[in-house]
Amino acid sequence: MQRGTYTSVSEMTQSRGAVQLDHVDAGVFEVDCDATVLSWNRFMVRHSGRGASEVVGHNLFARFPEIPEAWFRRKLDSVFALKTYAFTSWQQRPYLFRFPHNRPITGGVDCMRQDLTLIPIVSDEGVVDRVCITVKDVTDVCIYQRMLEQSKTEVERLSRTDALTGLYNRGHWQERFHEEFARASRYASPCSLVMFDLDHFKRINDTHGHLAGDQVLHAVAELLNQTLRVSDIAGRYGGEEFAVVLPETALAQALSVAERFRESLAAATLVGPDGPLAVSASLGVAQYKSGMDGPESLLRLADEALYLAKRRGRNRVQAAVRST
Amino acid sequence: MSALVTFSEDQRDCLQEVVNVAMGKAGDSLARFLRTFVNLSVPRIRLVGADCLPQVLREHLGRDQTISAVRQGFHSATRGGVHGEAVTLYSDSSFQAMADLLDFDSSEDANQIELMLDTSNILTGACLNGISEQLGGEVGYSAPSVLGLHCGLTQLMAPEQLGWDQALLIEINYSLECREFYCTLVLLMPADTIVALRSILSGLLEDL
Repeated sequence: MQRGTYTSVSEMTQSRGAVQLDHVDAGVFEVDCDATVLSWNRFMVRHSGRGASEVVGHNLFARFPEIPEAWFRRKLDSVFALKTYAFTSWQQRPYLFRFPHNRPITGGVDCMRQDLTLIPIVSDEGVVDRVCITVKDVTDVCIYQRMLEQSKTEVERLSRTDALTGLYNRGHWQERFHEEFARASRYASPCSLVMFDLDHFKRINDTHGHLAGDQVLHAVAELLNQTLRVSDIAGRYGGEEFAVVLPETALAQALSVAERFRESLAAATLVGPDGPLAVSASLGVAQYKSGMDGPESLLRLADEALYLAKRRGRNRVQAAVRST
Repeated sequence: MSALVTFSEDQRDCLQEVVNVAMGKAGDSLARFLRTFVNLSVPRIRLVGADCLPQVLREHLGRDQTISAVRQGFHSATRGGVHGEAVTLYSDSSFQAMADLLDFDSSEDANQIELMLDTSNILTGACLNGISEQLGGEVGYSAPSVLGLHCGLTQLMAPEQLGWDQALLIEINYSLECREFYCTLVLLMPADTIVALRSILSGLLEDL
C-alpha cells in the first residue's frame, strides 16, 4: 500500500470505496430532488456511451428523453418525501435506459432489461438530499422467463391435443363439449353434435398395416378440419371414432355439414403405402333439446344415430330419431 | 421442533407501542401517496406456528374472499439483526380504488401490478422505517414481488411449503375513507429474529 497518497484513513477507505463502486457490475448513479445527476459510474458510462462529464450536473430527463418522466418522477418523489426505497421491475417496465445488452446474437431481446432500486440517502440534517439508483441487468432473467412461458404454452397445447391427428384429445374435447352444452341450456341456443366412425377401419389395419391406418386417421382429421367452421369443436373420441360439437347450429344445418364431410371423404382418394385407399364414414347427428338432463343424453342420442347409420348400410348420415 | 420463543409482558407492551407509532407513520405515508384519508386498525402482534398462519389471517380477511398479495424482504444492516418478509394482502376491490386515486389506467394488467407493488413498497418501507427509527439501526429492502393474484389464502401460504415452525406476526389493517380499499400489512419474522428483537427490547426497557 502506498502511504502518503491519502491524507487520512477515512479518506483512503472512502476513495477505495468509490473505486470499487465505479467498477461494480451494475449501474450506480445519484440524483438530487431536481433530478440533476450527481454521480455516474463506469457501468453507466459503458452502456450509455456518455462519460460522467457529459451527464453529471445535467438533468436526467433532458439527457435521456427515453425515460417516461411523469412515471419516474413519481417514484423519485416518493423516495424524497417518504424516505422509503422504491423499485422498478422489468416485468412492468422493461427498461429505463435504452442500453444494448450482452446477448445481441442469441437474446432476441431489443435492449437490456433492467431492475432498478432507488435508495434514499439521508443527510446529517436527517433529510433525504439525494437518491442513489442502482440498475441491474436482468436480460437473462427475461429470456429465461420467456422460454419458460413458451414451454408452458407448448405443454398446455400438448395436453389438449391428440398426437396422431392434431385434433383435440378425448379429455379436452369432452370439457369443451360440456361447456357448450351448458351454454346452450343457459341461453336456449341451438347446438348440435356429430359422432362418426370410419367404416371397416379394422380391415384397413389388418390388410395394409397399422402405419396405413395411422395415415388414414391423419388424413381424415385434415379433411375434417377443411370441412368445419372455426367455431366447430372436433376431437378424436376413440380409435377410429370422432366427435364434433357445432355450437349455434340447428339439426338441419348440422346434417348438411355432416353430409358435406361424408361426400368429400367418400370422394377423396387417400394415398396408402400400397396405393390408393377408399375410406368412408358413418355419421350420427343430434341436436340439443331443452330439458335434456346432461351432455350424456345428447351424446347417447348422437351415438344411437351413428349405430343406425351403420345398420342401414354405412357411408351415410343419420339424424337422431328419438328425443328424450 | 425447537422450543418456542416468547416475550415477557413488558417486552410485549414495549413492542406494541413501537409498532403503534410506526403504523401511524405508514398510514400517514399512504395517505400522502394516495392523497386521501386512511383508516387504521390497532396492530395485532402474535407468535404464530406455520400450521395456523392461514387461519390467523382469515380471521381478518373474511372466509371466501379472493385476494392478491405482494411480498418483500427486509433486513437490518448488521448480520443477526431483525429480518423477515412483509406481505401485503389486497381485497380485489382495492385495485379500482387505487387506480382511481392515482389516475392509473387499471385496464392493463402490468399497470395494476405495478400499482400494487408500489403501494406495498410504500406501506412496508414506511412502517419498518418507523420501527427501526425507534429500535435503532437501518433497514434495507429487497424488491417487492407478486406472491399471488386473485387467489385464495391457502394457495398463497400453504403451511407445508413454509419451511419454518414459528414466526412473529405483526398485522395491520388499512382502509380508505369512501373507497372500497382494504389491505392488510403482515410482517413476518423468523424465530432467530424474535431472539434478536427480545434483546433489543430489553435494552430499550433498561434505558427507560
